[in-house]
Amino acid sequence: MRATLSQWSIPMLAGLLLVTMPGCSKKSVQSGGDTQSSQSGMGKGTPGAGGTGGSGDSTGGGVSSNFPDTSLAGRDGSAGLRGLDKNPGEERVNGGTMMAKLDPSQSGRQMDEIRSEQAAADAAGLRDVFFAYDSFAISEEGRQSLSRDAEWIKSNPGAQLKIEGHCDERGTSAYNLVLGEKRAKAARNYLVELGVSANRLGVVSYGKERPFCKDHSESCYAQNRRGHVVVKTGK
Amino acid sequence: MTFRTWCIAGCMVVAGFVGILESGATDVFLEATRPDFQKIPLGVFGIQNSGGPEWLGGRIEEVLKADIRRSLVFSLVDLPSIGIKVRDVGPGPHPAFKQAKENGVSVLVWGKAGAKDGDKEADVSMDGFVYDGESDEIVGGKRYVGSSSVVRLMAHRFADELVFRYTGEPGIARTKIAYVSEQGTARELFVMDYDGYEPRQLTSDGFLNLMPRWSPDRRFLVFTAYRNRNTQDIDMIELATGKRWTIVSLPGLNITPALSPDGNFLAFASSHEGNSELYKLDTRTKAMQRMTTHASGDLSPSWAPSGRELAFASDRSGGPQIFLMSADGTNVRRLTFEGDYNAAPAWSPRGNWIAYVCRTPKKEYKLCLITPDGQKRVQLTAGPGVEDSPSWSPDGRHLVFSSTVDGKSQIYMINADGKDLERVTFTGTHNSAPAWSPAS
Repeated sequence: MRATLSQWSIPMLAGLLLVTMPGCSKKSVQSGGDTQSSQSGMGKGTPGAGGTGGSGDSTGGGVSSNFPDTSLAGRDGSAGLRGLDKNPGEERVNGGTMMAKLDPSQSGRQMDEIRSEQAAADAAGLRDVFFAYDSFAISEEGRQSLSRDAEWIKSNPGAQLKIEGHCDERGTSAYNLVLGEKRAKAARNYLVELGVSANRLGVVSYGKERPFCKDHSESCYAQNRRGHVVVKTGK
Repeated sequence: MTFRTWCIAGCMVVAGFVGILESGATDVFLEATRPDFQKIPLGVFGIQNSGGPEWLGGRIEEVLKADIRRSLVFSLVDLPSIGIKVRDVGPGPHPAFKQAKENGVSVLVWGKAGAKDGDKEADVSMDGFVYDGESDEIVGGKRYVGSSSVVRLMAHRFADELVFRYTGEPGIARTKIAYVSEQGTARELFVMDYDGYEPRQLTSDGFLNLMPRWSPDRRFLVFTAYRNRNTQDIDMIELATGKRWTIVSLPGLNITPALSPDGNFLAFASSHEGNSELYKLDTRTKAMQRMTTHASGDLSPSWAPSGRELAFASDRSGGPQIFLMSADGTNVRRLTFEGDYNAAPAWSPRGNWIAYVCRTPKKEYKLCLITPDGQKRVQLTAGPGVEDSPSWSPDGRHLVFSSTVDGKSQIYMINADGKDLERVTFTGTHNSAPAWSPAS
């Protein structure tokens, strides 16, 4: 593969400048931001008090009542283009209004929680279970690890556990999320067989998105195909 | 209104498109390889500097030429190579027009760029002009003004006007690509221009934000996120404000959301009833309908442009394969039979192809295309590297995808005929899950 845009370098995080709409300019035609032109929102539903970070805006059924109209009803299909003109009027070009407000404090809080979660799992001496390529079957070695985990869990009745399903980098992101869930559930089911109450065992799939090891090698892949057993420290 | 004086080549291009749309699935070709497909020869005299920053004209010209090349509607003619070295073309006719026309150049483009007269805020302006050889006249132009930070956008906009004039389609030069970029151990959502410039971070929650998809109106993304790291949700974010909220929070997996082309339904995979199944949420009534019922995993719904059918991945046959079904969940049939791992389907906006990740006999994860009737199958990429997440440009002529061919996962673009492979992201430790925006 060859890089054809090799010369550019962009500070990825730089600023996220709020490119605001310039007030307005004399007689010029507003061509709209080329991303989300403000007029496109006219007459459409906009999200209500949604809040950020997935704060509970959903109804009891696990589905939000807050769903804006995202259809193209009323659009003419020209995508804001006005056509060439023999006497072109002035069109103002704006940088769009994309301006997510980033809150780095949340990121820091997550990092702290992940560290304390990992520390709790290490202190408990919990063991992970590893899987073969494309497989969610628990091996004999995995059963031994889980047996030890089950002893600890039973002797620490106050602890809530989480089993994370992980995959190696091969295969698609989406299918690996399904595979990761199968792995986490297989580990949970075995712990339940060993007498651990199912309601103490949460299951979550991270697919191939949080690898333990980042090399493109089988030894690395083997480390990433795991059911990672941790003590829940957060909510 | 823009269809007044059509050149013959322009008519041929549109006739070609209509032919593809009407041909259905039985007899489709990759349009750029159709024997009757003729790109329109276009030459750029240059964008002259007139008083602005030194880099201005050259920057606009460079962006414009790249856009014209990627449009696949025009073929960019190198004017000096046919003996035309004029740069100072004004708004009126020029002897070089005749020379270019005699050399088969159908369209000529030029312009100037500079500081906007008398404007205190250091705005810049760009004037672009278009000569059409068929009608032998300057058919029009554009005049843009804006801050010096939007000059790329001026060039993109002018390129889209050119495509619009000669095809009636809006072009892709102003489209965006949403993607996931690794930030430390977190994966956050970003949006960049289709050519990889102007990346902007949208989320910063420090954990995983995965597999974004656009709303039809380009105002929102839907994606998978993790509440407190323990629970997976489908979230929605409004790009203009950064406002974000959870739209689906069922127990278990909540992955691969995809809004229908009319925006009225959200298809997604959830495992809240046991294993991963596909559901369809009516975004107006909030009624949820289960679309699949199978003991195996179903995921990755991708809507046909008609909204009447979906492609999806399922491992009901062992390894994952691509299946099709009607939007009400009936008429399920398997589409892919070659290979033991086919996943991540993406239905082309023209309807004639479904792109997906196919595992080759050498266990390489590459891109394949298949027609919805299963009659034609093409492997689009080859060699080392794990490819993932194909997503179509709104004109159906390009795909964007992630690949580890250069080591770290980065984002690449390729024509639907397998030509013009181009890397789009160059920074960062891991860029993945690209989703190409609609054009409007």
